[in-house]
Amino acid sequence: MLLRATHTTTYLYSEPVSICHTEVHLAPRHSGRQRLVEHELLIRPQPAQLHERLDYFGNPVTFFCLSEPHETLTITARSIVEVAADAPLLAGISPPWQEVCDQLRRRDNADTLAAAEFTFESPLIQIGPEFAAFAAKSFTPGRPLLEAALDLSHRIFTTFTYDQRATTVTTPVREVLKTKQGVCQDFAHFFIACLRSLGLAARYVSGYLRSGPNSIGAEASHAWAAIFCPGCGWFDFDPTNDVMPAGNHVTVAWGRDYSDVTPVKGVALGGGEQVITVAVEVVPESANTFPAAG
Amino acid sequence: MIRSSPDKPNPLASPWRYQPEEGFYDEVLQPSGQIRPHWRGLTESILSLGEGGFRERWKEGQRLIHDHGITYNVYGDPQSTDRPWPLDPVPLVMDPGEWRSIEAAVAQRARLLNSILADAYGPQRLLKDRQLPAELLYPNPGFLRPCQGIAVPGGTFLHLYSADIARAPNGNWWVLADRTQAPSGAGYALENRLVCSRVLPDVFKTSNVQRLAGFFQAYRETLTGLAANQRDNPRIVLLTPGPYNETYFEHAFLARYLGFTLVEGGDLTVRDNHVYLKTLGGLLPVDVIVRRQDAGFCDPLELRPESMLGIPGLVQAVRCGNVAIANALGSGLVESAAPSAFYPSLCRHLLGEELKMPTVATWWCGQEGPLSYVASQLHNLVVKPVFPRPGDQPIFGARLTEAERRQLVSKMRAEPGKWVAQEQVALSTVPVWEDGTLAPRHVVVRVYAVAHAGGYKVMPGGLTRVTPSLDNLVVSVQRGGGSKDTWVLGGKAEEQLTLLPPASHRLPVSRATFDLPSRVADNLFWLGRYVERVEAMVRVTRSMLPRLTQESDPTQASGLQVGARILSHQGYIKRSREPLESELLALLYDGARRGSLGHSIHLIHSVVWPMRDRISTDAWRILTRLDQQFAAEPPPEALRLSAALDLLNQTVITLAAFSGLTLESMTRGEGWRFLDIGRRLERSLQMIELLRHGLASDPTVTRGELEAVLEIADSTLTYRARYQTSMQTDLVLDLLLIDEANPRSLVFQVARLAEHIEQLPESRSRIRRPAEARLLLRLLANVQLAEVNELAAPETLQAFLHKAAADFRQLSEILTRTYFNHAVTSHRLTAP
Repeated sequence: MLLRATHTTTYLYSEPVSICHTEVHLAPRHSGRQRLVEHELLIRPQPAQLHERLDYFGNPVTFFCLSEPHETLTITARSIVEVAADAPLLAGISPPWQEVCDQLRRRDNADTLAAAEFTFESPLIQIGPEFAAFAAKSFTPGRPLLEAALDLSHRIFTTFTYDQRATTVTTPVREVLKTKQGVCQDFAHFFIACLRSLGLAARYVSGYLRSGPNSIGAEASHAWAAIFCPGCGWFDFDPTNDVMPAGNHVTVAWGRDYSDVTPVKGVALGGGEQVITVAVEVVPESANTFPAAG
Repeated sequence: MIRSSPDKPNPLASPWRYQPEEGFYDEVLQPSGQIRPHWRGLTESILSLGEGGFRERWKEGQRLIHDHGITYNVYGDPQSTDRPWPLDPVPLVMDPGEWRSIEAAVAQRARLLNSILADAYGPQRLLKDRQLPAELLYPNPGFLRPCQGIAVPGGTFLHLYSADIARAPNGNWWVLADRTQAPSGAGYALENRLVCSRVLPDVFKTSNVQRLAGFFQAYRETLTGLAANQRDNPRIVLLTPGPYNETYFEHAFLARYLGFTLVEGGDLTVRDNHVYLKTLGGLLPVDVIVRRQDAGFCDPLELRPESMLGIPGLVQAVRCGNVAIANALGSGLVESAAPSAFYPSLCRHLLGEELKMPTVATWWCGQEGPLSYVASQLHNLVVKPVFPRPGDQPIFGARLTEAERRQLVSKMRAEPGKWVAQEQVALSTVPVWEDGTLAPRHVVVRVYAVAHAGGYKVMPGGLTRVTPSLDNLVVSVQRGGGSKDTWVLGGKAEEQLTLLPPASHRLPVSRATFDLPSRVADNLFWLGRYVERVEAMVRVTRSMLPRLTQESDPTQASGLQVGARILSHQGYIKRSREPLESELLALLYDGARRGSLGHSIHLIHSVVWPMRDRISTDAWRILTRLDQQFAAEPPPEALRLSAALDLLNQTVITLAAFSGLTLESMTRGEGWRFLDIGRRLERSLQMIELLRHGLASDPTVTRGELEAVLEIADSTLTYRARYQTSMQTDLVLDLLLIDEANPRSLVFQVARLAEHIEQLPESRSRIRRPAEARLLLRLLANVQLAEVNELAAPETLQAFLHKAAADFRQLSEILTRTYFNHAVTSHRLTAP
């Protein structure tokens, strides 16, 4: 399945910004279930130089500096991605979750050691008995890992309210547990907090969701979580839409939480009042965009 | 007094009453009570001085500390930002043989920690080889992921390292703590040496104490060598979090001593991945940053976002190799106590060597064996979080009740990986001077190592700190402890020839003047204005005091009104409510009152404090004394009026001495220029105020008003010499407005200002005169061409002064906009 994602961020300032340093996570990364076909990044005003590198987690990141005064900044990322549409592994045949915890504690191979990075607290995700308690209803003794995770995702979907006004980018995950309100980022953070509090490894995934009447969170960049299963790898869960992503999600970057993979972040000098608008559109790419092979 | 012999058992017992406690190693006395051999020189000298002689010497030491302004800041104490540095006059003496093994151990530990950092920010092989648990790396807040993979010059993360070491009862040394983020105290160690070698010059000379200068020279060479392009004269800056930091004095002192520019984050900017210093003359490239600010706060873009102390884009500039930072960003990672439990094996693994000096016994509770041990031995241990947050204190197991211990154990069992326990060491003791006696205190020595010539060079000495009392085992200057000079014997005799200053001449001179950051130019400008403003206020008040008692005389009464109008117009006194006398006394003696003299002087103090590295020691001393004079208890009510005149006379002289010294001790660079611009501008505005309220407020001008105006303007003498007793408005105006020979006249100020403005970067770099220069030329012509006969009419004078005041205010605005424009705030951009 080919998807075309267009992500436009616009800053309007009341006074000129004299200098601004910006770092963006906007180029979709390669992964087992997706392939990046095409990507371009347009920035207006145009910076003298773009610096591209891979960050600590292997995500592509672009850094630029604007040192000419400007009153508008527009960043547009256009990507075409091929994503796997088949359903991921059957949840029921994964190992019991406590066995996974044991393996993560032992860390006796490269995979479990690499996953250890995602078992600890991170800047925006705390760990604590209150999260473990919430998770316990889904993670009953002996239950297969992915089945339990699917149940947890389902409980978040049914008991939490999607409300864009309820939270900000820095709302602590404990607050989300209390109010049971938020957006995709909060639900992903909460889901991860529950898993890590049990001793499991879970990471934050930043990306896009194909636009559609039943897609929650498709109008802006989207977020969900992935959980580690030894021997099988990572499995995505989208608690905001109660699904395991298959064919409709475009992965851009992953990290411990939102702070590792913020799509656009910067520091600007001056600017006065600012208005930000973000627009995301993800649509199937018609085959005729590419000349047929042969 | 009978001279005691150091060979007799405990010669310090009488009359010095030094009696070490059982169960601790004493640095001076052997268990038999005899003086240890390497202490003999010093103790003999102290014994021969006697209590009285020693007291005299120490008075001199305290005077030095005061005069050098050696201070530190106590957090959370807004009343006193700077306190005198607590130094004890008795140095710690170290045997050279023993020191060599300490030296080797500290250098080894620096290499070890550097290797651990190189692995953590590189291949992380230690985790894969199971040499270091992931719990001690991944959740460590000091592990800065954006710094992963950044190549550091020469593979060196730690350019400066310090270890806190202490001696156990068996005589062996242990490492208590490592400092790798931005080790502090090396500058204080140098200051301690400066003071102590003057207090005890003879024994210092004969003891062959090893010198510290070579260490700082090596540090400077290392930092210079970090410059990416190896320029001959790289620009090195010392980055401080600012004047409210605990060790700000040291930042300023080291910057001056090493010849680096002292900067705050706001003084630097990143453009196209290069770091620049914002100066009056424009942006100057920076090659090396000596960092005294925690790495997390250095770049709000890639590191801690909530901090605005940092420099956006700095990490990217480092990544591009365009600037070097010492210590490297991320080196705070190895400050935690927990990994030290693994250092013996890591040392074998990484260096192929045995660890030369053990860490105080440490158990990381993330493993079952150590956790059970810690739980059973809690009463002997000190427990800490693995990654302490601000405000976390170590928990002394011995001080807990049985119930508290059980509670702590269950907390530890819930999250074992987050706890570390260490043995409580019975620290050795040293004598400290305590009002005529010597008392034992526990001691910890901070030893420094600098990366140099492919290895580490250890400072032959260090910062010795002592506990506030014998039953306290925490050394902390923050919490009332003291410090000592550290004498390592075995230096070469010829080194003793040059004693003072501390061999600063050995450092190569880098440049004659310092780069002037815009922020400092701004501060100097306001310093000039404040000093002049206070002086004007003092002169006005002083003119009023004698006239207060002669109010029945109409001449005196009208003279009194000149001052009263100025002070009330400027908001210093309220005329309607209180009698003038009590208002004036409140102005002088009520330090808490806004706008009081004491308050204004304290304002000067606060402007100067962040520029300690640019103000001469003498000028600083004068200012400190003035500040203290006003902070002192005022005299009894009845004596206040008569004491007031003395106080004001004294203040005028002291202020003159301060501005004189400040100006005279400064190189005639841009800093001096801005100080003088501030002064001239304020003096002009004060003169305008004086003429407005003295000669232009009533339709007719009285003799009393003219006399008061001349007195306040400090021009009575000149006027009398020219015109004897005749009093005429036009003649007074001529003297105070357009007489170019009178240093108090308005035209004199304008002419000086015009000269300064011509020399500023904006004027020199442009063909056409900038706005401020044109404004001043116009102002100068206006004043020079003024007709005093016409101005003698109050309405004409009023209009003339009004126009001039507006011009000066405009000048101040232009200067601020052109040169000090750093008030623009940054903000964060984030978008989902």
